[in-house]
Amino acid sequence: MAHRWGMAVDLDRCTGCEACVTACRAENNIPTVGDLQASRGRAIHWIRVERYFEGEFPDVKVNYRPVMCQQCDAAPCEPVCPTYASHHNDEGLNAQVYNRCIGTRYCANACPYNVRFFDFFNPVWEKPMHLQLNPDVSLREVGVMEKCTFCVQRIAAGKDAAAADKREVKDGDIKPACVQGCPSKALVFGDLNDPESEVSRLAESPRGTKLLEDLGTAPKVTYLQGVEHA
Amino acid sequence: MRYVTVLSCIVLSIAGAGCSWLDDRPAPYTSAPFTAQAHSGSPRLTTARDTLGAAVNDFFWVKSTPKQPIEFPHNTHVEKGLACTEYCHEAVTKGPQAGLPSVNTCLICHAAIATDRPRIQQITQMSEKGIDLSWQRVYGFAPAAHVRFNHAPHIRANVECATCHGDIAHQTVAQRNVDHNMGFCVTCHREKHAPNDCLTCHY
Repeated sequence: MAHRWGMAVDLDRCTGCEACVTACRAENNIPTVGDLQASRGRAIHWIRVERYFEGEFPDVKVNYRPVMCQQCDAAPCEPVCPTYASHHNDEGLNAQVYNRCIGTRYCANACPYNVRFFDFFNPVWEKPMHLQLNPDVSLREVGVMEKCTFCVQRIAAGKDAAAADKREVKDGDIKPACVQGCPSKALVFGDLNDPESEVSRLAESPRGTKLLEDLGTAPKVTYLQGVEHA
Repeated sequence: MRYVTVLSCIVLSIAGAGCSWLDDRPAPYTSAPFTAQAHSGSPRLTTARDTLGAAVNDFFWVKSTPKQPIEFPHNTHVEKGLACTEYCHEAVTKGPQAGLPSVNTCLICHAAIATDRPRIQQITQMSEKGIDLSWQRVYGFAPAAHVRFNHAPHIRANVECATCHGDIAHQTVAQRNVDHNMGFCVTCHREKHAPNDCLTCHY
């Protein structure tokens, strides 16, 4: 059976350390744009940690929520793309094909989660930073959109390793950079079509919610949060 | 027709550059010193090509011919029964890159075989000095193609080397025999019922 990749984020475990953000940047060759361009909203971050305050000072509780592309089953970014650069593949991934993208930015405007980013500049890494680039991920040039891919290069590598061993992909074989980097194991990645996988179990959890579920985007990322009884 | 298009493009761009003094808009913003280098505009001609020369070459389908450090006779080695993947390109079964042999790989056999030939003596000297062969790649994808090719799955699917690399067995220095464009890949993937999704190769 085809895979259907999904993720679960346990917000009760998330400490807001941003290790996922750092891991993602390193893995996916995400360029930095500098403070000024960031202030103009041109910064690129495939995953971000949103911060919410509860209560009044000094009794403040902080809640964190890592937000990446939700890989929606009914993705609003896909029908608006005139070149099919943004499309759905058989494994449920919301793919972004850089070759096809002509930079209309319709998808970024259609996305309710603000997880699609436009490359306003060609990527430049000052020496010796260029040595840390991941050769498995292409550098996106100026004028295309980019977004979280669920580390598609790691999915490809995981499937390739399984095929080389003549076996199926096991649960936990494939870990996107954010999942691997999470010290509190708040992020779980896996195959939603595999009923035995941990992510399938968590997706069924009564603690689970989807982000902006009412919009009908059918996201494949489940957020888990216990209800606090006052 | 193509010559006319290119000529008129060149003439127009020169004319456009010459009229820049007519532009009274304020100069483009230069950002803070530490980011200036990164964002002082694109150093390239276009997103896909660095220079005008590269663009013209691409337009006329002109590709550079790699100059190899030694004139390696593929035909002789294949005739003697050496398989491509046996020593020289042995990484092909394991990962994305087929690998190019180091001078020490040559000497696995040539420490004893054909040691009287000048070319073999040349590489023996190189090995003694600790110099390696600077092979040039014959095939490869431009960064703008965003292609991630992996040799290993193709070898597992029993695709012959010659399918993509042509008749190298009868050539001396490796030539670019087959044009690796997307139509070439997709046709074969369709025939063999291999995945044909964009994300199979482009990411």
